[in-house]
Amino acid sequence: MKRYILRRVGLAIPTLFLVSVIVFGMMRLMPGDVVTRMVEGHGYAPTLDALRRDLGLDRPVHVQYLDWVGGIVLRGDFGRSYWTRQPILDEFLRRFPVTLELAALTILVSVVIGVVIGIVSATRQDTAADYLGRVFAILALSVPYFGLAVLVVVLPSIYFKWTPVWTYVGITRDPLENLKIMLVPALVFGVTRAGPIMRIMRSALLDVLRQDYIRTAWSKGLSERTIVLRHALKNALIPVITLIGLQMPLYIGGSVIIEAIFRLPGIGLFFFEALTKLDYPVVQSVNFIVAALVVGLNLAIDLSYAFLDPRIRYR
Amino acid sequence: MRSWIRASDTAERGTGILIPAAEPAARQVPRPRPRAWYVDVWVQLVRRKPLGTMGGVIVVVMLAAAILADVVSPYGFAQTSLRERFIAVDRSHWLGTDQLGRDLLTRLIYGARISLYVGFGAVVLGSVIATVFGILSAYFGGRVDLLLQRAVDAWMAFPPLLLLMSIMSLVGPSVGNITAVLGVAFGIQNSRIIRGVALSLKEHTFIESARAAGAGHLRITTAHILPNVLPTIIVVATTGLSTVILTEASLSFLGLGVPPPYPTWGGMLSLAGLDHMYQAPWLAIWPAVALSLAVFGFNMLGDGLRDLLDPRLKGR
Repeated sequence: MKRYILRRVGLAIPTLFLVSVIVFGMMRLMPGDVVTRMVEGHGYAPTLDALRRDLGLDRPVHVQYLDWVGGIVLRGDFGRSYWTRQPILDEFLRRFPVTLELAALTILVSVVIGVVIGIVSATRQDTAADYLGRVFAILALSVPYFGLAVLVVVLPSIYFKWTPVWTYVGITRDPLENLKIMLVPALVFGVTRAGPIMRIMRSALLDVLRQDYIRTAWSKGLSERTIVLRHALKNALIPVITLIGLQMPLYIGGSVIIEAIFRLPGIGLFFFEALTKLDYPVVQSVNFIVAALVVGLNLAIDLSYAFLDPRIRYR
Repeated sequence: MRSWIRASDTAERGTGILIPAAEPAARQVPRPRPRAWYVDVWVQLVRRKPLGTMGGVIVVVMLAAAILADVVSPYGFAQTSLRERFIAVDRSHWLGTDQLGRDLLTRLIYGARISLYVGFGAVVLGSVIATVFGILSAYFGGRVDLLLQRAVDAWMAFPPLLLLMSIMSLVGPSVGNITAVLGVAFGIQNSRIIRGVALSLKEHTFIESARAAGAGHLRITTAHILPNVLPTIIVVATTGLSTVILTEASLSFLGLGVPPPYPTWGGMLSLAGLDHMYQAPWLAIWPAVALSLAVFGFNMLGDGLRDLLDPRLKGR
C-alpha cells in the first residue's frame, strides 16, 4: 500500500510541474499591454518602465518563473493582483466558499433528479414513465446550461415580474437568504447536468437488477422497495459516483458562466474579471490552484479506490 | 491483406443470418455483394435507430442551411435597419429583429454556418492530432509514451473552460483561432482513446506477421493499425462534434470566441446582449432553441453511429 501511494504521489508531481509551466508560459506569451493600459488609462505609474520594474516584469523570464513557483512552494504565496495589489490567495479563499457551495448544490440537485428518474426508469423499463424519463435526459443533455440560465433570468422577469436576487449575501450572514440566492443558479445548472447521471443510473441499475443476488432477494419474498433501495441501489451508485468525480472540472468550469450570469462573487467571476482586465498573475494562479485541486482530487479518488479494492494496489 | 472489420461482415447484422467464412461448394447460393461498411452504417442507422435518424435529419438540415445561407436567407447577416428594431414577429421578419434591426432568422442561418465551420474544422484537426499522437504513443511505447501521457495528464488537469478562456484571450477571438484552439484541445483529449485502441491492436498477431514480412514502422502504423482505428475515430469525432459546438458557443457567449459582426448562436445569446433581451425575449429564445436542436441532432447521430460502429465504447 505504501509503495502504491508513493508511486501515485510521485506521478502527480511532474504533472503539477507541467501544469505550472503551461500556465506560466501562457501568460508570458500574452500580447502584454496590461502595463500600457494601467499607465495610460489609469495612471498607475508615471512611466511604463517604472511600472514594469514595480511589478517585477523587467527581470528575465526564468527568474520570474522561479520567483512565482518558489513563492508557492516555500511560502504558500501565490502572488498579488496587478490592479489591486492584494494577495491572490486571500481573495481566492474569500471567494472559494461561494463556488464550492454552488458546486455542492448543483451536484445535489443533479444527483437527486438523476437518481430518482433513473430508478423509476429502470424499475419501470419500457413503460410510459421510462420513456418520459429518457426524453427528459435527452433534453437535459441538449439544452446548453447558459442558454437555460439566460432564459430563466429573462423570461420570468418579463412575464411574471420575478427576478433572481442580485445582491449576494454570504452563507454565514444569513443562511436562508443565501439559499434563496443560490437555489435558482444551482437548479438551472443541476437540471442540465442531471441528464448524464440519469442515463448512467438507469443502465447501472438495469445491470444490477439482473444479477443473481437480486433474484435471491426476490425469492426471499422481500418487497420491491427493499430490493431496489437497500440491495440494488448501493451497487448501482458506484458508476454514478465515478461519473461525478470525473465531471468535477466541468462543474468548476461551468461556474464561470453561471456566476457571470447570476452575479455570484465566486472563483469563476474572479477569474473572468481578471481575464478581461488582463490581470495575468490572477489568471495564472487561479488556473494553477484549480488544476492542483483537480489533480489532488483525482489522487484522492484513486487512493480511496485502492483502499477499498486491494486488487488495484498490486497491478 | 485487408484487415479492417466491416459492419456487414459481423454476425447478426443485416439479414441476421450468420454466414460462415468458408462456405462449402455444394451450398453455394448466389448472394448479393455485401455493402461496404461505410454505406452499410447509414442503412443500419435508418433501419434500426429512429433517434439517430432524427439526429441525422437535423444535421442534414443544418448542413443545407449552412451551405445555402447566401441563397436562402432573406437579408445580409450584418444588414442593419434602425427603423425596424425589436420587431417580435412580422411578415418580413419571421423570427423578429434585434437591437440594430438585423433579421434574426438570417443570423440564425449564418450562425449555423459558423457553428458547423468551427465544429467540423476543429473536429477534423483534432481527429488528426488525436490519431497521430495516439498511435505514436501506443506504438512506440516506452519513454515516448511516458512523456506524451504526462503532458496529456497536465492538460486534462485543467477545467477545460478555464484553459480555453485563457488561451482564447491569449490568441484573440477570431474564427480561425477558435477553430485551431478547439481542435488542439479536442485532439489532446481524445488521443487517450485512440491510444487505448492502438495499444490493444498492437498485440494482435497480424501486426506480428506484418513485422515478420518485413514491414517497417511507417507501413505497420499506416497500413495496418490506422484502418482498424478508423471506426473509433469516426465515433469519437461524431460524438465530439456536439461538445465542440457547445464549447464554441460558451466561449462566444463570454465574448472570447467568434468576434462580431459574425453571427454565432452563443454570441447571440451573449452576456453582453443580456440587457436587450428584457425588451425582446425572442433574442434569447431562438438562439437557445437552435443551439439545443443542433446539440440534440449531433448527440443522437453520434450515439447511433457509435452503437453501430463500435459497441465497445457504449456508455462512455
